[in-house]
Amino acid sequence: MIAQATGFQVTDELRDTMRQWRTRFAVFGAVGVLATVAGLFLVSPNQFYRSWLWSYLFVVGLAAGSLAWLMVQYLTGGAWGVIIRRPAEAAARTLPLVLLLFIPIFIGIRNLYPWSHSDLVRADEFLRHKQPYLNVPFFTIRALIYLGGWCFLSWFFNRWSAIEDREGGQTPRRKMGALAGPGLIFFGLAVTFMATDWVLSIDPRWYSTMYGLLMIAGQALSSMAFLIAVIVFLAAHKPMVDVVTPRHLHDLGKLMFALVMLWAYFSFSQFLIIWAGNLPEEIPWYLVRLHGGWQWVGLAIVIGHFALPFALLLSRDLKRNFKLLRNIALFVLLMRVVDIYWEVAPDFLKGSFGLSWMDFTAVLGLVGIWLAYFLRQLEKRPLLPLHDPHLSEALEHGRE
Amino acid sequence: MADDQQIVVEKPAPGEIIAPGYTFSTITDQISSVVLTRKTPLFWFAAFGFGGSLLMLFLLAVTVLLAKGVGIWGIRTPVMWGFAITNFVWWIGIGHAGTLISAILLLLNQSWRNSINRFAEAMTLFAVACAGMFPLLHMGRPWLFYWMMPYPNTMGIEPQFRSPLVWDVFAVSTYATVSLLFWFVGLMPDLGTLRDRTKNPIGRAIYGILAMGWRGSARHWSVYETATLLLAGLATPLVLSVHTVVSFDFTIAIVPGWHSTFFPPYFVAGAIYSGFAMVLALAIPLRSVYGLQGLITDKHLDNCGKIMLATGWIVAYAYMLELFGAWYGGNTYEQAAFWHRMTGPYAIQYWSLVACNIVAPQFLWFKRVRSSPVLLFIASIVVLVGMWLERFMIIVSSLAQDFLPSSWGIFQATRWDWATYLGTIGLFLFLFFLFVRALPMISIFEVRTLLPQAKVSKEGKR
Repeated sequence: MIAQATGFQVTDELRDTMRQWRTRFAVFGAVGVLATVAGLFLVSPNQFYRSWLWSYLFVVGLAAGSLAWLMVQYLTGGAWGVIIRRPAEAAARTLPLVLLLFIPIFIGIRNLYPWSHSDLVRADEFLRHKQPYLNVPFFTIRALIYLGGWCFLSWFFNRWSAIEDREGGQTPRRKMGALAGPGLIFFGLAVTFMATDWVLSIDPRWYSTMYGLLMIAGQALSSMAFLIAVIVFLAAHKPMVDVVTPRHLHDLGKLMFALVMLWAYFSFSQFLIIWAGNLPEEIPWYLVRLHGGWQWVGLAIVIGHFALPFALLLSRDLKRNFKLLRNIALFVLLMRVVDIYWEVAPDFLKGSFGLSWMDFTAVLGLVGIWLAYFLRQLEKRPLLPLHDPHLSEALEHGRE
Repeated sequence: MADDQQIVVEKPAPGEIIAPGYTFSTITDQISSVVLTRKTPLFWFAAFGFGGSLLMLFLLAVTVLLAKGVGIWGIRTPVMWGFAITNFVWWIGIGHAGTLISAILLLLNQSWRNSINRFAEAMTLFAVACAGMFPLLHMGRPWLFYWMMPYPNTMGIEPQFRSPLVWDVFAVSTYATVSLLFWFVGLMPDLGTLRDRTKNPIGRAIYGILAMGWRGSARHWSVYETATLLLAGLATPLVLSVHTVVSFDFTIAIVPGWHSTFFPPYFVAGAIYSGFAMVLALAIPLRSVYGLQGLITDKHLDNCGKIMLATGWIVAYAYMLELFGAWYGGNTYEQAAFWHRMTGPYAIQYWSLVACNIVAPQFLWFKRVRSSPVLLFIASIVVLVGMWLERFMIIVSSLAQDFLPSSWGIFQATRWDWATYLGTIGLFLFLFFLFVRALPMISIFEVRTLLPQAKVSKEGKR
């Protein structure tokens, strides 16, 4: 086996291609971020922070979701995840950058969240009630706990993965397996409260116990779609061209299919329950999102985030077609962006639909920078874990 | 039981899902001998007798209920749902593990499921049967159950389609139908085996009829595989949908403590949690009585323990978020509901359910606990009790103390409540041990595929 002999290192040809893409993404990202920052000074600080927040949420989903996939894999074992392990590790290694990108949100707390204004809090009984939770110091500490915890987990799993590559043996796997369970519990709780803090507290009156799960499913879906796109990219080049087969793609496609359904299940359940209850403290969240032009975005999400990928991914042939599956994955990522915008923005633009040019530059800028950094991380390590106990099973599985 | 059919195999190595030394024929011998040749163990008579006596109690309770009306139960305004709906939710939840094992784990290529899917599916069927009793009896006039169905009638009335209770009728009846089909289709090859092996002419006729002409030809197998896959695909959404609809029974109402958006996945996780507890509670005694440790190995118990731990954590997450949501959401009634649960008349039940469902399962983190059948058995019973308490807590405490203090009331279970509940446990055990006696409790042909000799090499395939 040729690729195995070379240790699945990134070949020179692939490295060149990756560097080209890296430069493009970096330029794109820098331009986007600079333009957005220019908007901060020239146009509107409020708009800057809003655009940054929702774009940031998308990027967090890619990085933290990939970390979660690593932990799921170490917890459950099995060969399905071997193929995405290295891209997921690289995405998890971007978490320190994600931590840095939080700084503008920290600076903009007062622009984003009404509970940070003490005069508003004093005047509002609800906000007073929530003040022990919704206050600037505690909000910051919590954000540091989520992001710091993810960075720690990412560091831990990457460290032991590197040791596994160097030395092999049972120890790294055992270490990773032991932390995967508690790590997933931390991940679940962190995403839940992150969603409460960063998204729900924009409208501090509203709460839905489903929202954390919805965010978890959204992150799992966007990271899986992203990993599929990365795998298809890698599969066009050596060394992975000898490794990735339609069967591997089929398994990942099935996972994406399941997550599309899971997300829709969470999303619809939340909607149905709130719609049927029709309570004054709950229904406004949907009223805002189903009027003033937002309803068309909502409809686009129903179709593009669920119905279309659902119908397409039913097909077995399609899940085994590299290009088509990649295109669906990219489309799902696009719909994730739309969905996050639909969840975050209407609370700022009370009443009617709106979209600023800074929304575009922010999301393109953040995603561009993040992708450049991701590619930098990806080329550092062999593209397959050399001593993964399931490696041969995974390679064998692909050839059957 | 030292008769000729006793199969001697080595103890399976840890982590193995089948003991070494089995062959195709010894697997068939061992599983079919339970039904065909071996002397029925005393344990079976004891368990069957116990279930049968409780079933008699159930018949008595139902007779009295039909004669006197649902007033013999403790249901009074405001708690009109009482034990009946608690038991319904509990039983239907238990069934979910069977469907998860038979359908979802099949689609995920988890071959270890092959050794436990048969009796888990049987468990599903009987649990659904027990669950179905409660809404029917709770109606007071069970013979008018068909009014729940939308059918053209001279009264010119239709069920209220906006009510989740009507959705329940469809969800549960679909679930029962698909589960039955799945189970029966999966049984056919084994029924053929029993037909060919039994020496009893009546048995042969019955197994023969049920096997529907199964001859094991390549064509049969090919059709069979397609059918199983399709049924698995149909059954998979049912694992989620049935308990989701059950959770809508609560969430669609705006009663404090019921109207929480994450109830659907929370109920599904709780269902799987209690279902796996029941799988363990059944598998552990069965395998030691019938000497099946080579087929249902410690690895199976370990896996079930892990699934319990994982679903237990989802349930724990739900309890925690429920409290946080009540506080953060700022709805006074919601806050009062949870305060009442923790400190009110049902505080004992609340804290016992926390102990049973959250604290106790944490021992499952330890490999030593998961590899000890006795401890696992205890843990599964604790979880079953805890999940029943959870259903009770949600239903009764929220109804007992809702918006208006002047209309509060405490639910007091009567002996007929208990008689009906214990009676369905009897019904369950009675049916289950009947199944163990009459049908192969482990899927013979699927376990045979676990053997190394069943794996076709790549060269052999092409």
